[in-house]
Amino acid sequence: MKKLVFAGGLMISLLAVSAFTPMRAADMTFERALNASKEPQNWLLHHGSFEGYRFSRLKDINTDTVKNLKPVFSVALGGFESGGRYKFGNLEGTPIVEDGIMYVTDGWGSVYAIDVSSGKKGVIKWKFDPGVDRPWAGDVACCGVNNRGVALWKDRVISIALDGRLFSLNKATGETVWERKVADPAIAETLTLAPLVIRDIGIVGVAGGEFGVRGWIDATDLNTGKQLWRTYTIPGAGDPGNETWKDGKERWKHGGGSVWETATYDAESDTFYQGIGNAGPDWDPEYRPGDNKWAASVLAISPNDGKIRWGYQYTPNDPFDFDEISEHPLINAKVNGEDRKLVVHAARNGFYYALDRANGSFVLGKQYVDQLNWTPGLDPKTGRPLNYNPATDVQEYAPGSHSSRAKPKNERLCPSHFGGKNWQPTAYNPELNLLFIPSVEGCNFLETVEQKDFVDQGGTIQPRERFAGGAQKTTERLYGSLKAVDPATGEIKSRLKLDYPNFAGALATAGNLVFLGQADGSFTAYDAKSLQELWSFNVGSGINAPAVSYSVNGKQYIAVLVGSRQSPFVTGMAPELKNTSTASMLYVFGL
Amino acid sequence: MAVLVAAVAFLLSGADATRAQAEFSAQDARAIEFGKEIFKVKANCQFCHKWDASGDTGYGGHALSLRKTALPPEQFAEVVRCGRLSTGMPFHDRLAYTDKRCFGVTREEVGKDLPPMGEFLSAREIDAVVRYLFAKAVGRGASTYEECVDFWGKETRQCEPMKK
Repeated sequence: MKKLVFAGGLMISLLAVSAFTPMRAADMTFERALNASKEPQNWLLHHGSFEGYRFSRLKDINTDTVKNLKPVFSVALGGFESGGRYKFGNLEGTPIVEDGIMYVTDGWGSVYAIDVSSGKKGVIKWKFDPGVDRPWAGDVACCGVNNRGVALWKDRVISIALDGRLFSLNKATGETVWERKVADPAIAETLTLAPLVIRDIGIVGVAGGEFGVRGWIDATDLNTGKQLWRTYTIPGAGDPGNETWKDGKERWKHGGGSVWETATYDAESDTFYQGIGNAGPDWDPEYRPGDNKWAASVLAISPNDGKIRWGYQYTPNDPFDFDEISEHPLINAKVNGEDRKLVVHAARNGFYYALDRANGSFVLGKQYVDQLNWTPGLDPKTGRPLNYNPATDVQEYAPGSHSSRAKPKNERLCPSHFGGKNWQPTAYNPELNLLFIPSVEGCNFLETVEQKDFVDQGGTIQPRERFAGGAQKTTERLYGSLKAVDPATGEIKSRLKLDYPNFAGALATAGNLVFLGQADGSFTAYDAKSLQELWSFNVGSGINAPAVSYSVNGKQYIAVLVGSRQSPFVTGMAPELKNTSTASMLYVFGL
Repeated sequence: MAVLVAAVAFLLSGADATRAQAEFSAQDARAIEFGKEIFKVKANCQFCHKWDASGDTGYGGHALSLRKTALPPEQFAEVVRCGRLSTGMPFHDRLAYTDKRCFGVTREEVGKDLPPMGEFLSAREIDAVVRYLFAKAVGRGASTYEECVDFWGKETRQCEPMKK
């Protein structure tokens, strides 16, 4: 048969295929990735664009029409089975949509190619199940059985599995072209983030910051499936930054700095911006005196060779578990009358930061969470916490905010160690110049337990054992918020209190809407300026994933993965969610 | 050949299971297996206490070693039903703190020290998980490879690091 493939009204390819060859969409090229916003009918990249905006230019669904939005179809997925220490697999993925085919993942790494072209139902064309050894991988996943999505490259789908494998799949059939073991669960390394593809380079990073990994970012030549480079986020002996590990016992070797959400990319400077996780052990900073670079930081990295161009650390010698893995959108803005090229970040530590993306210099920072008690503020020149003391190796932030060996239980930490903004992505509307920050609000408690050494450093801790140096306790009810922030000033332009801490992330659209899912199953559209609720539909099971927008045959849709059982730290204090059930569903909405 | 190997492996695993359960009556063995599923999946006790109940730190809180508990089964069951005040150990009795069944106090009297809500368990389920723990964990020393395989099965690499 012959089939014409149209995209945005333009014929982009004409493929002659035999009756036995599946229909083939256009190859995903670097050129298309750079210009993803010019294909608003598709959602080609994890964050919608390399700049990390999660912004759809489609606007048929808008502030006037959204009242008519309704579910048009749903698709049951799998992957909520238990494994390792987890009772359920989780859904945190961002769907990728290309020419009427949607690619989604479940927590155990199965990839589903779903034909959504009819607009009436989703037909699973193929499913790829990586066959993860669930106890093996699931027992060393710190925070759930997660997979945040796939990337497209040429005629392939690039995916990951929790057990550390990276896959190149035939986009038309789901068959494996190659797989590469990138992370090793034998030393508690796992993969959960969606790969970032720059040219022919597939970039992933390792999770495992609560299990004594030494974090890294790894690049694969997607043509061959072979490693191109690996850059450790915790510098080794002799590398710049290693001197910030002052224990004298080489504890940087288990120093954390994990990587579990996809970076943003600036084509102009050919640099990607990767958020880096907490130092390990989380809550015993006396184990690791020094600033502990590059934990709790952002790194600007060259994709060709993995060289670190610059780094900026948000919380030196972090005693809170304020890892900063989440996205770093790239925004050009006038700051104090001057045009600036910024990389911005709504940090888990409760502050919004804007840095100069050429050199990492601090431009501005401002608190965005409701409550913050660990520091009185940020130094206006450096962005360092005001109570950071360069003369000491173990930082003493605000008394009572963190625990220590001398005082093993803190009094109260705000925001809680969950953040602020955890992994859940922001969205940015460049037309309104507003950054939408979905966050966790509230406070919790920390405890320090003196960390023992790993066996390879003369101690007793075996690989795959917890390496947290303490514990958290969440016995106050957390809540959430959605805030619209001016990225050039950090000023909160509008705010909305949410009943539940948000772990789902936002979508912004040119229809001046912001879409957000919640723990109670509500999926809601807000007016982007006022954050007033304009439409809501309850899907009946918790949402922990961000929505996307796409169109088929000129009709706009909103899609979101649904069904995560909420964390006990949410449900334990929210009796009304006690009996909600998990599920594993794709929901699609249209006018 | 592969079929033969699989068949032998199946028979061996069956024999192992038979030996492991020989210590208990068939009824006890069923209750213990039921309790294990509560511990492993339904109440997900292992998330905080670790699969071998040896306790842990981290996101599951500072969870105590149940292998080292000095509590007799009745008091242990009370902690499962009622949780531990002002700690992260959740209660599992649906009616805990609605009356004075737990430590003689109600929700109002406990105030901010109320433990989190865990998965609600029936009396039969609480009995089973306590029996499981007293049969397989409490009073035992460090866990062994055999215990690991007993918990996770053989079709996983999970216990390989414990193999001598």
